[in-house]
Amino acid sequence: MKLATDIGGTFTDLVYLDETTGDYFLAKSLSTPPHFSRGIMDAIHKSDLDPGAVTGFVHGATVVINALTERKGARTALVTTEGCRDVLEIGRANRPDIYNMRFRKQPPFVPRELRFEIAERMNYKGEVVTELDMRTVDTVAKQIEAEACEAVAVCLLHSYANPDHELKVAARLRELLPNVLVTASSEITREWREYERTSTAALNAYVQPVAAAYLRQLATSLNEEGIEAPVDIMKSNGGTSSLDFVAEQPIHLVESGPVGGVIGAAALGKLIGEPNLITMDIGGTTAKCSLIENGDYKITTEYRIERDDRSAGYPIKAPVVDIVEIGAGGGSVAWIDVGGALKIGPRSAGASPGPASYGLGGTEPTVTDANLIAGRINPDYFLGGELKLDLAKARAAYQPIADALGVSIEETAIGVIRLANANMINALKLVSVRRGYDPREFALIAFGGGGSMHAVALASDLRVGKVIIPVAPGHFSAFGMMMSDAMQDYLLTALTSSVEESRGRVGTIFEDLESQAIDYFLAAGFDRGQIELIRSLDMRYNGQEHTVRVRVPDGELDFETLNDQFHAAHEKAYTFRLPSGVEIVNYHVSAVVPTTKPALAELPPGTGQPPLKSTRTVDFDTWGILESAVYERTDLFPGCIFHGPAIIEEAAASTVVPPGVRGTIDPIGNIVLTIGDEA
Amino acid sequence: MTATTLDPFTIEIIKDGLNVIGDEMFVSLQRTSKSPIIYEVLDYCCGITDEKGQLLAQGNGVAGFLGTLTFAVQSVLDKFGPENLKPGDIFITNDPYTGGGTHLSDVSLVMPIFYRDELVAFSANKAHWTEVGGKDPGSWTTDSTDVFQEGLQFPCVRLFSAGEPNEALFDVIGANVRTPDMSLGDAWAQVASCRLAGLRFQDLCDKHGLPAVKEAIDILLDYGEAMVRQELGKLPSGVYEADDWIDDDGITSEPHHCQVKVTVTADKFIADFTGSAPQTQGPINCTWTGLVSAVRLIFKALTDPHIPANEGTFRALEVICPPGTVLTAERPAPVSTYWETMIFAADLVWKALAPAVPDRLSAGHFLSVCGDVTFTIHPDTGKPAILVEPNAGGWGASIDQDGTSGLVCVGDGETYILPLEVTEAIYGIQVDRYEFNLAPGGEGKYQGGRGLVRDYRILSDQGGFITATFGRHKFHPWGVDGGRNGSMNAVQIRFADGREPVTVGKTARYPLKKGDVARLITGSGGGWGDPAARDKDAVRADLRAGLISAETARDVYGLTGEKA
Repeated sequence: MKLATDIGGTFTDLVYLDETTGDYFLAKSLSTPPHFSRGIMDAIHKSDLDPGAVTGFVHGATVVINALTERKGARTALVTTEGCRDVLEIGRANRPDIYNMRFRKQPPFVPRELRFEIAERMNYKGEVVTELDMRTVDTVAKQIEAEACEAVAVCLLHSYANPDHELKVAARLRELLPNVLVTASSEITREWREYERTSTAALNAYVQPVAAAYLRQLATSLNEEGIEAPVDIMKSNGGTSSLDFVAEQPIHLVESGPVGGVIGAAALGKLIGEPNLITMDIGGTTAKCSLIENGDYKITTEYRIERDDRSAGYPIKAPVVDIVEIGAGGGSVAWIDVGGALKIGPRSAGASPGPASYGLGGTEPTVTDANLIAGRINPDYFLGGELKLDLAKARAAYQPIADALGVSIEETAIGVIRLANANMINALKLVSVRRGYDPREFALIAFGGGGSMHAVALASDLRVGKVIIPVAPGHFSAFGMMMSDAMQDYLLTALTSSVEESRGRVGTIFEDLESQAIDYFLAAGFDRGQIELIRSLDMRYNGQEHTVRVRVPDGELDFETLNDQFHAAHEKAYTFRLPSGVEIVNYHVSAVVPTTKPALAELPPGTGQPPLKSTRTVDFDTWGILESAVYERTDLFPGCIFHGPAIIEEAAASTVVPPGVRGTIDPIGNIVLTIGDEA
Repeated sequence: MTATTLDPFTIEIIKDGLNVIGDEMFVSLQRTSKSPIIYEVLDYCCGITDEKGQLLAQGNGVAGFLGTLTFAVQSVLDKFGPENLKPGDIFITNDPYTGGGTHLSDVSLVMPIFYRDELVAFSANKAHWTEVGGKDPGSWTTDSTDVFQEGLQFPCVRLFSAGEPNEALFDVIGANVRTPDMSLGDAWAQVASCRLAGLRFQDLCDKHGLPAVKEAIDILLDYGEAMVRQELGKLPSGVYEADDWIDDDGITSEPHHCQVKVTVTADKFIADFTGSAPQTQGPINCTWTGLVSAVRLIFKALTDPHIPANEGTFRALEVICPPGTVLTAERPAPVSTYWETMIFAADLVWKALAPAVPDRLSAGHFLSVCGDVTFTIHPDTGKPAILVEPNAGGWGASIDQDGTSGLVCVGDGETYILPLEVTEAIYGIQVDRYEFNLAPGGEGKYQGGRGLVRDYRILSDQGGFITATFGRHKFHPWGVDGGRNGSMNAVQIRFADGREPVTVGKTARYPLKKGDVARLITGSGGGWGDPAARDKDAVRADLRAGLISAETARDVYGLTGEKA
């Protein structure tokens, strides 16, 4: 039996799956910040499972992102090459908020008094320009001790090319400061650009004491429960690593939570034959979307936390699943700006006080309240009836906005839904149209508490013909974690001309990266035969700055084929190709040990029409206000056909099926909606 | 305006749709350009106007281009008349003296958009081409004396006529620029961006109907105006004046005096530059478009920096300046480095208003783009390496916060400074240091942000040279309310043979030998308030961080009884 847990701001979700039967079970418990492992144990207790039968445990942790956003990490020092003390604070010097003449850069995670320089220098070829003066390291160690730092990051110039000095400094600091956790930048990434690498190392050091303690606590608690299965932790790259590894490099957990849904979508797509998917995860505070092409999700290496149109954010050079997140979720608040225009979010009423209709003290009108007024949510069946929604409170919250706009409450509610959809469409366009993809070649998979309510409207606007609402959309992230593979990424910057003469160098670099990958997995107890190695290269035209990632074909390397692939990829991303030389910037080895993917049990097919639960009046916006069929999701069976206008209710979600949309249930229980001509 | 027939949500969605078109044009141009100055420095802008040339939405990467597209569109309307425009026409212009031009490197394309045979809008963009010909590689230079030395001029002519490319013009461009592939590539990228906007605008009309879109446009412009007037009403009415000096024009060492009188009322904002110095012999001249953009930039900062810009947001603004000044130069004055004077004009309005509007404006910042061109032979490849870049410096303190250290200047924006590791690998020089400039300056109750020091050491046996234009080399960034002035920008050449270093503000092709260091120094921003009033804990923190010396803590900030 395999277990996965996903911790959200409000709930801790647990999914466990019997690998022999394909049956799975769900549990939810309240999250228990800051001691999240208690919430996990609560969910385990709720689900009444046999600890001895647990063979695998996958966990998506929010401890790292929380420590970063709440600035609750360790007192951290930074050691750099002479002349580079201020690199972390200068950043890239950009001003995203371009008309703000009082713009303030976000402060660095390590203040200047804790940033120390040592005497040494490499050049970009990895040759020593100035020998490492170990006495300067010893002096710095004393200062770090005197400053009572709990963690230290070391990032020296050109350590991506030759980490020798950096590793010597880290070793010396570990020896002199046994109680201080030490991060060397090259242990996490061998990519160039000193600010980005320094930031990555500094953030890793900053969260390491907190994350390591959390992970140890989790391991202990599981042990006490009698669960002895190995613990795998969900990383931002969509794969898992051992607990020991992420305790050393916790920065890989920064998007540990949100990636689950994307992995789940990719895995589900493979099961049901939908290799091209746009994912939409609508939660309480945000909506997140991403794109899956030919079964593969996209990875970004340009990730930054706290970046938006007014802030530069902090770069983390670790591979992260490419997700676009916007501040439009169920709890997002509707408001009128000073010019009299209606706006939504990014502020959210969150889980507490929550939307006005929750009756938990919230008085502000939210998207959830609008969906309730429009008849799209059953007030008596929210969270399976656990929370009774108060329509009168939702209406009262919208009264002032309706008055200001001079329209009815009902019109206001549908207008808010329309605006929220417009915001989400823009995010969906960012991952699709803006990156050269035609949405019509994709299906939309929607999950999270709000996904299924907005999905068809979004799909129609994007001209997507098919919408999939997976089973248990509220638990989908945890489900996805269970489908993830063990995965390690190894990256190295080494400028190389992409020509036949480079064959030897390219081979040597890849072999070196691969042996690191193999060493990791062998040490983790896997066999060589289980390890899949994927080579790719970040390439560009000579003299360009931006690169395009190209997967290296298996077998003997053929530079002509490789360059052809690059030209094609460049044309896809940037619409043109150049007749100029090509060079390699980064080498990348992704090592994967696939887990056995449990086959999901098929539901018994039925015949005839699904039973009607009830009917009610629902506002379908442009499709009109209509008397709508209401179905209970568990009453629907594979092969059944239903048509909009309809609402499908389940404990944690409500699916809106407008007129002209045809629905069915696939053999494993997903709702499949077809829009437009084929419906 | 007639009473609205649209519901408020549709209006909002069309308004958003128009803004998204500006953003989408912007991304499209970035993705399809072949020039680093466009896809990395983002030195371009894109937007759409209505059929009269009123700006509806604009996508920007840098602050300096605000509102210039309107003039380009209007020059097309003035020259050809709306009745003579055809679907598929695209016009090209870079005339600095009329029609939205700034310097010849900034090339605008304008495309009329038709919906069912009716002229309904224009899409336009303006991009810095790496090459437009002229006497120096890269086209811009610090010592031209007329516009004819600065490159190819496009006097608002058709690049496309009813969809057909003007092959003759393409050939002329190809023959007159040093990098035809890059320049023509950028022209095509601009064409793609204009056409994309045309399609998106037509989509919007298909979806909502042309009457609804037209109505939403009127509302959008009125809304922009209303938002700005709300903010304008919060500004204290009055007359505000400022003056300052431009270092020199690159030909002589004489400084040039400029001044502004700003009149703020409840519904009007007038910036009058009458009395500023006449146009100069060297290429620092700014023209009308640049001046208006400069004032718009500060006007936007003063009202609300986050309201999407459109023509309505500038209705309350008026700019006055007689022709023939260094701010409003006339043909054939050289304009190659106009940007330094443009941001100087922005700084003048800023300086006049800062004390009165402290919640929107800081004290003076390092001001100059501090552009340098560093040339050497890469020691490992033997090939020429030309580094062209802006530099970051210190921003001014405000009434309630310290200034930020190490940011690009007001004329730049989402502009990224090159990493040391990339600089060393690609350009074959060594960057000895990249750190805060701790020279005195900017002390105050709130301290100005720190400028930077970046040392470029030449490694090549064949040496190299540096060309640079670092303004504010002779006149300091200004402090406010007793805050001290910031420090100045400079390029210091430090010789390997031990000669006395040479310090300059502007230089053209200064020779460097192996081992010589070009030290690029940017100034700190001005301080705000009396240094003696600075919070003593903040002084102690600065001392601990090594940002100030024990002497400064004691003598300037009055910190006593501390261990140094």
